[in-house]
Amino acid sequence: MATEYKRPLRVLLAKLGMDTHTVGITIIGHALREAGMEVIFTGLKQTPEMVCAAAIQEDVDVVGISTLSAGHTRSLPKLARLLREAGADDKLLVAGGVIPEEDKALLEQAGVHRIFTMGSDTRDIVAYLESWWETRRAEEAA
Amino acid sequence: MNRPTGPLVPPETHIAQEAERWQEETRGPAVAARSERRDRFETQALKWPIKPLYTPADLDAVGFDYMADLGFPGEYPYTRSNRPNGHRSDFWTMTQVTGFGKGEDWAKRARYMLDQGLSGLILEYDLATTNGYDSDDPIVEGEVGRAGMALDSLEDLDKAFDLPFDKLKYLMSVCNAPQPVNLAMIIAALEKRGIDPGDFVLHIVNGILIEYTCVGRYIYPPDDGLRIATDCIEYIIRNHPNWAPISIISAQLQPAKANPVQEIAYSLAIACAHIDAVLERGLDIDTVAPYINHFVVNVDMDFFEGICKLRAFRKCWARLMKERYGATRPEALKIRMMTSPTTIALTLQQPLNNIARLGIMATACALGGAGEAMTTPLYDEAHALPAENAIRVGAAIQHIVAYETGVAETIDPLAGSYYVETLTKQMEDAAFAELDKVFAMGGAVKAIETGYIQRALGREQYERNKDIEEGRRKWVGVNHLVRADEEREIEIFRLDDAMEEEQIRKVRDLRGRRDQVAVDAALEGIRDAARNGANLVPACLDAVRVYATHGEMCNAMRDVFGVHSADSQLMGI
Repeated sequence: MATEYKRPLRVLLAKLGMDTHTVGITIIGHALREAGMEVIFTGLKQTPEMVCAAAIQEDVDVVGISTLSAGHTRSLPKLARLLREAGADDKLLVAGGVIPEEDKALLEQAGVHRIFTMGSDTRDIVAYLESWWETRRAEEAA
Repeated sequence: MNRPTGPLVPPETHIAQEAERWQEETRGPAVAARSERRDRFETQALKWPIKPLYTPADLDAVGFDYMADLGFPGEYPYTRSNRPNGHRSDFWTMTQVTGFGKGEDWAKRARYMLDQGLSGLILEYDLATTNGYDSDDPIVEGEVGRAGMALDSLEDLDKAFDLPFDKLKYLMSVCNAPQPVNLAMIIAALEKRGIDPGDFVLHIVNGILIEYTCVGRYIYPPDDGLRIATDCIEYIIRNHPNWAPISIISAQLQPAKANPVQEIAYSLAIACAHIDAVLERGLDIDTVAPYINHFVVNVDMDFFEGICKLRAFRKCWARLMKERYGATRPEALKIRMMTSPTTIALTLQQPLNNIARLGIMATACALGGAGEAMTTPLYDEAHALPAENAIRVGAAIQHIVAYETGVAETIDPLAGSYYVETLTKQMEDAAFAELDKVFAMGGAVKAIETGYIQRALGREQYERNKDIEEGRRKWVGVNHLVRADEEREIEIFRLDDAMEEEQIRKVRDLRGRRDQVAVDAALEGIRDAARNGANLVPACLDAVRVYATHGEMCNAMRDVFGVHSADSQLMGI
């Protein structure tokens, strides 16, 4: 059990939609890896179906989505639904990029656990994931 | 030394000795009394140490030689300027990229811009188009007509070209991966309207190799991407010699955090890959180089890095063409640059501050020689659709730099600055070292296929983001002079479902009424050309004329070339 607790957090990073700007997701990928997490990248131009399949296939703990395209109000809820339907909604679903304040409530209601908008500090993102991971392990141990 | 009196040592050595004395007697005590504001002074992107003082001894140390390194304007190696008279006869061409609305109203907006006296337009397409899909492909749901014009068939482009072509002298089309399809569609649309292609300049961006290193609007594997681009370049050189078949958008590498050395090295390596591929088609370097020398180059906030980069760029291109290829024509030895302040220096916070940033960066562009043209982004670009006010200010910035500052009254006014010449020379040397490294790997395509360039950029992105997060780089409004009460507003495009549905209806309707047998045969023709190495443009022209759609033609090439997908390694993550 103790050794399993030390297992590094596995994170799938993905770009949904046709927007292919990757500076943000690259910085996040480096920061998570620097913090000791395992990072898997899906490639560009992913559909919710492709991301859901990859999340299950790669057996990740966290799915991190970068979106700079206005399609997020459709694609993110769809991804949350697909994960739920596949029984994979124990995975933490987080998103970042250009997401206006007024969309946050809708996305959180649809099953996105946390949204990091443009300019978020990578240290805050790392801290959030680490604390979620700790809570999750504690719950499972209990 | 051939002088009757004076020091017994060369003057640079004498100055070096004097500089040491100054350090010991004058500066040393001053710094001891009042320590410096920073632990390290360094250039922003390259992180090269900046000395407190530069003297002729520094020029000596880097082996600076006036005639070899600078020469004279309009002459090899063009460091001082491409133009024999700098900007004393004409300023650079002042242009502005302002986004032209979406979908079918492009022609309306374009007519308006032409009526305002503009003679050049930039045609940008939506992400469905640039990624090679039709509007009704489920994968592009929500993207249709958003980031530019939706283009499914010749019918769409025919409507967009309802323009006064007597006023239009220059049209840039930004469609990288599906370039032969797009080129064929433009040629067919001109034909349909009876426009003489010799009457204006079509400039296709066609810079696919950069897309694999950053931004990512690629479809096919890199070597196929290069072949496709080469088909377009060869077709244009042979059939429309007054057109421009490529732009190396170095300004895509810069926002992906390429430092000036990486930017010069990678964009030149990419240009060489294109040149080599066209030379293999039996053309000579003095013919080819003037077609591949169109670059778009950004300048960032580090004033001297920006200025020196533009100077080093001109010289590196000239040297490369002469030393690697033996080019001799001045048109081959001169790089043509469009310069621009970078958008990544602009902040979402306190957007009016961006006007100051744009003014400073535009001044740096001008001091670096400006290029043939300059374009300025808009101060509110980071957070909203450009407002009219921002468009006016954007245009005014270039006029203020040109008419009010005096920086363009003499040619290359910073030449001879000990700091500027040291930095220019160091950049040139480092860029050639990095370029040689890429050549040793087998060139740009190999450096892309192994992920070398992507990983280099990925590291820069991470490190420079850390500089800001950890406060080593101060950025007003972001980590310095931050106003706690500031309200941030991001205005983003909302999906226009009606427009998307209309576009989908149109393309489906077209498929129902065209000659499907002819379309199938033409698409097979594209597959044949892709397989047997024939130029793809004529095959695409045949397909365009029978109303094959953009996505169908891109799919025909997908059938043969396959698609490129990048994992972490190839993404530099």
